[in-house]
Amino acid sequence: MVKEIERAGIPVVHMCTVVPISLTVGANRIVPTIAIPHPLGNPSLDAAEEKTLRRKLVEKALVALETEVDTQTVFDK
Amino acid sequence: MRLELGNILIKDVQFGDVTKVENNTLFVNKEELINLICEDENIKSVEVELAKPGESTRITPVKDVIEPRVKVEGPGGIFPGVLSKVDTVGSGKTHVLKGAAVVTTGKVVGFQEGIVDMTGPGAEYTPFSKLNNVVLVCQPKDGLKQHEHEKALRMAGLKSAAYLGEAGKDVTPDEVKEYESLPLLKSVEKYPNLPKVAYVQMLQSQGLLHDTYVYGVDAKQTLSTLINPTEIMDGAIISGNCVSACDKNTTYHHLNNPIIHDLFEKHGKEVNFVGMIITNENVYLADKERSSNWAAKLSEYLGVDGVVISQEGFGNPDTDLIMNCVKIEKKGIKTVIVTDEYAGRDGASQSLADADSLANAVVTGGNANEVIELPPMDKIIGYTQPVNSIAGGFDGSLKEDGSIVVELQAITGATNELGFNKLTAKGY
Repeated sequence: MVKEIERAGIPVVHMCTVVPISLTVGANRIVPTIAIPHPLGNPSLDAAEEKTLRRKLVEKALVALETEVDTQTVFDK
Repeated sequence: MRLELGNILIKDVQFGDVTKVENNTLFVNKEELINLICEDENIKSVEVELAKPGESTRITPVKDVIEPRVKVEGPGGIFPGVLSKVDTVGSGKTHVLKGAAVVTTGKVVGFQEGIVDMTGPGAEYTPFSKLNNVVLVCQPKDGLKQHEHEKALRMAGLKSAAYLGEAGKDVTPDEVKEYESLPLLKSVEKYPNLPKVAYVQMLQSQGLLHDTYVYGVDAKQTLSTLINPTEIMDGAIISGNCVSACDKNTTYHHLNNPIIHDLFEKHGKEVNFVGMIITNENVYLADKERSSNWAAKLSEYLGVDGVVISQEGFGNPDTDLIMNCVKIEKKGIKTVIVTDEYAGRDGASQSLADADSLANAVVTGGNANEVIELPPMDKIIGYTQPVNSIAGGFDGSLKEDGSIVVELQAITGATNELGFNKLTAKGY
């Protein structure tokens, strides 16, 4: 899906836990997430902490989307 | 560490007044077995059924299969850290009721339980159709949480296997086989001219009903470590998982791990089988990195020339598999990976979720997406309704006449990644 949408000219950020698979399938902008059963959340946190975590992940993805890349890039900083 | 396995060949199973083995027949005192299982307050009731090879019987949803064994000599007992104390097992003498098994079923626990047909085309795809099965149809207490249900069923199976195994304690085995692993340096000295080989076993540890236990420890909370192969023959590793039926390692698979048996077979002839590493398959990327780093580090420390790596399950564990393979290869150690494939019903899709050019020696247990039609059976042990929702099944899998159309994924052991079954694929 990542590749097909990009083929249509729209940049994509792939948010995923298993970065190596994302690299293997050829995503260009990759944002690492939390864990496979809960990529965009963390049930061990309380609701407020989790909301902060989720916001940070989305903001990171938006930054990635705005960033020019010329090779596969993992936004893990 | 040296273990003698005494196989008592079980050719039939029957109910009887006393649980015993006589003339290669296992007699089961049903009431005693039921009482034992019902000691667990989380089990409301249990029915015990027998399923023998060739019968028109379907068992589903199958959770675990366990081989009855008993420790006859040496420290510890079967299933250490779970049923027995945590003594180190794997030495002395163990008796095996070869040809018999305990199968657990009942109300479905997760969504990935399997089907075992005792005859017909489905029987060809599961090794458990060849066994004399004592099937436990367990009903959990009302309102029991899913993970407690899983544990109750897991323990019922293990306890029953140990109980039946006891019946073989004083029986003279039909055949005795010996397995010995030496301390590393002695093993290296003994066969200096043979390639040194280790086995890296990946254990399913994704959590949420996808767990494996080592001496009672949840494998997802472990670091990769060394274990003697004979410890596994005494039940050091048990299955607590409901991952896809076709490629999960049941406790039976662990006890009879064919990679271990084959490596022992070739030991001293073609290879020097010096040791075994167990590692996990967790759901956090950092865990995957850490565990595979550790597997590679231990492989290097053992100083081996090659390793065999087996996977359990599919999907994200494909990444653990490739990480193990790549990191070990980069230490200058040759690898062979044992896996299975999800290549689509036509076999045309990419087989694994991850790949690397260093994974250049692959053994596959076959394509789990292949579709098979299972004809109706005269007798059902358990419930067939879940086949519409278990992995490999789909809405409409179960037909009105009782026949079932499913992917091989739904058949217990069909594409086992220890090479326990007969399916494979070859490249030309």
